[in-house]
Amino acid sequence: MAATTEATTKDVFDIWTTYQSILKDEEISTPLAAILALTELVQRSDAGTMFELVKALNDGAKVLNERTPNPISLNAGCELFIAFVTLFPHDSDSFSDLKKELVRQGQQYANEALTYRQKIARLALEFIKDDSVILTHSYSRVVMKTLLCAHERKRISVYVTEARPRGLGLRTYEELTAAGIPCTVVLDSAVAYAMNKIDFVLVGSEAVVESGGLINAVGSNQIAIIAKAANVPFYALAESYKFHRLFPLSQYDLPTHRPNILSFPLMAAPTPCRKHPVPLKEQPITAEERNASTLTSSQTRYMTQEQIARNPDVDYTRSRHNL
Amino acid sequence: MATDPESAAGQRIVEHLAARLRRRQVVGSRETALETVLVLRQVVSKARFSNIDQLVDTIRSVGRKLVEAQPKEYTVGNTVRKVLHHIREEYHTATRGAAAPFPSKPTFSIAKFVSQGQPRKQTASQRTSHETRGVLRENDADDPDAFARALKPVFMEAIQDVLDELETVYDNVSKVAKDHIHSDEIILTIGNSSTVEAFLKAAASHRKYTVIVADTAPSYSGREMAQSLSTSGITTVLVPDSSVYALMSRINKVVLGAHAILANGGMFAVTGSLLAATAARAHSTPVVVCSGQFKLTPQWNLYHEYGALDFADPSGVLGFEEGDLVDKVDVVNPYYDYVRPEMIDAYITNDGDHPPSSVYRLIKEAYDDEDYEL
Repeated sequence: MAATTEATTKDVFDIWTTYQSILKDEEISTPLAAILALTELVQRSDAGTMFELVKALNDGAKVLNERTPNPISLNAGCELFIAFVTLFPHDSDSFSDLKKELVRQGQQYANEALTYRQKIARLALEFIKDDSVILTHSYSRVVMKTLLCAHERKRISVYVTEARPRGLGLRTYEELTAAGIPCTVVLDSAVAYAMNKIDFVLVGSEAVVESGGLINAVGSNQIAIIAKAANVPFYALAESYKFHRLFPLSQYDLPTHRPNILSFPLMAAPTPCRKHPVPLKEQPITAEERNASTLTSSQTRYMTQEQIARNPDVDYTRSRHNL
Repeated sequence: MATDPESAAGQRIVEHLAARLRRRQVVGSRETALETVLVLRQVVSKARFSNIDQLVDTIRSVGRKLVEAQPKEYTVGNTVRKVLHHIREEYHTATRGAAAPFPSKPTFSIAKFVSQGQPRKQTASQRTSHETRGVLRENDADDPDAFARALKPVFMEAIQDVLDELETVYDNVSKVAKDHIHSDEIILTIGNSSTVEAFLKAAASHRKYTVIVADTAPSYSGREMAQSLSTSGITTVLVPDSSVYALMSRINKVVLGAHAILANGGMFAVTGSLLAATAARAHSTPVVVCSGQFKLTPQWNLYHEYGALDFADPSGVLGFEEGDLVDKVDVVNPYYDYVRPEMIDAYITNDGDHPPSSVYRLIKEAYDDEDYEL
């Protein structure tokens, strides 16, 4: 019985495409999209018991989890919704009434959650004093909203990191400049150089974990460490649906860590160590390479896609109390 | 509503306290908190209201007036917030009892689930003593005082709870004194905090130990503290502030008082506290702070080195006796230091001991979110 209902559900409803189409809305973040996709699943599901419904939800969450490259914040949304469904105190007369109620709750939450960024922007205003110089990292919707909101009341200027390899920092730069906020893009490698000019660091978040740590776009951890060393406050903005039951002890505990990340390429014929200096010397070194610091942009060298693939998308920043 | 003589009397009491706060005739966190509760009690007992919102508005406007009169005494605002919290709580228990057949379940939502976690199985009505159910009539056009008549006694009781907490705060903080101070320890303290004084005296009845008191220039309040401690039989040593660092290697624990505890776990405390805390940090000596929970303030200090830029009369530092100098130098005499949360090991409060990292939680429990801005 359970198997047949599951099969029919899958035929008419593909959670992954639903999820993708929900995500097309710029305002909706991954955890919310996951909640909405699961809500849709509840609506379409013909489960007749709680057991079947929860199983369908878990299966849906599993599909989403497997197909997305970075499942952390998506999992936060899925776990929240499934836990809510399991614990929801209902007095509905029939199971279909309960499902209707759950769908209503899911949609109502999504609507409510869309106001959260505005609320954060309002609460963060108190932390931004007039004439602040702020460093932000990559692109975050909640950070953008906060900065634009602060710009209406206070004078702020912003440094934003380029955030290689996707270069999302440039998007932040464009939007802030368009809004009239003085903004300069800094190299990811120039954060330490810029740190002493900064009043505080402001980043968004992918997820906030149980240890009080932060999971965010790769590079956040090194910015936090530099900020700590320079005694500069580091603030992360997080909507409450980003709290995630996860207790990473190191970077490599994150679900996004794949074995190929930071792996070394396999050498076809490993050369013995002591022979190394010899061929290196024999290699012809061009004049440009010797003066690497004076390279012009046309001569800049980039990482290959394969090299980029050996790098992480997100990293884990420990909370102050565990540093 | 403001025209009838009773609320005019209420206004007068408020204005009177506001004036005294402004002139700095009432100082100190507990003193101002006590005065505030007393005024609020008067105001509520005289207030006319026919629903909860009117009462909340009345209390808030009184609170705003008092806070504006002296924004540097944080406990005024805190007390108002606390009273509002208690009154709302009483109102909710009363109305929940009255509206029992109506389901309270549809109020459960994902947002609530995120912020409060698992729903309680059945919130049994804990307080059956308030026999107000069934007769609650809000906004009754025929009898606008019906609501006030029904609930005022309960509200007065709520305010009395706040007052009782303030009155027993020293006893409750001192209850755990003997767990923190052990025999033959050497304790350093600064200033003349009544909470610390009560705490040390309570420990003295169980243990024999030594207190080193820094004399806390320029107010020299440490001298009064030393006097008071030694009269109650504690071995007391009075030292100049400048020797705090030198003595720190011999000290087992630093016990400080607080003026206000902030949401990030830091605090404002008498000048010299930062000096003692920094010296303690250098020697890894534990720093504990004794304070009542009425000092918990839902605010962040982000940009002030001196406690909210509160400065005292500079004559304590440089008097007019030194006439030639007076117009050649700037003299600064800040009241309070800001001590960062990293420098504090624990807060000993009238409701248990807490690390600075959980202060935000206590604040969330003590006040309602909507009252952070009065």
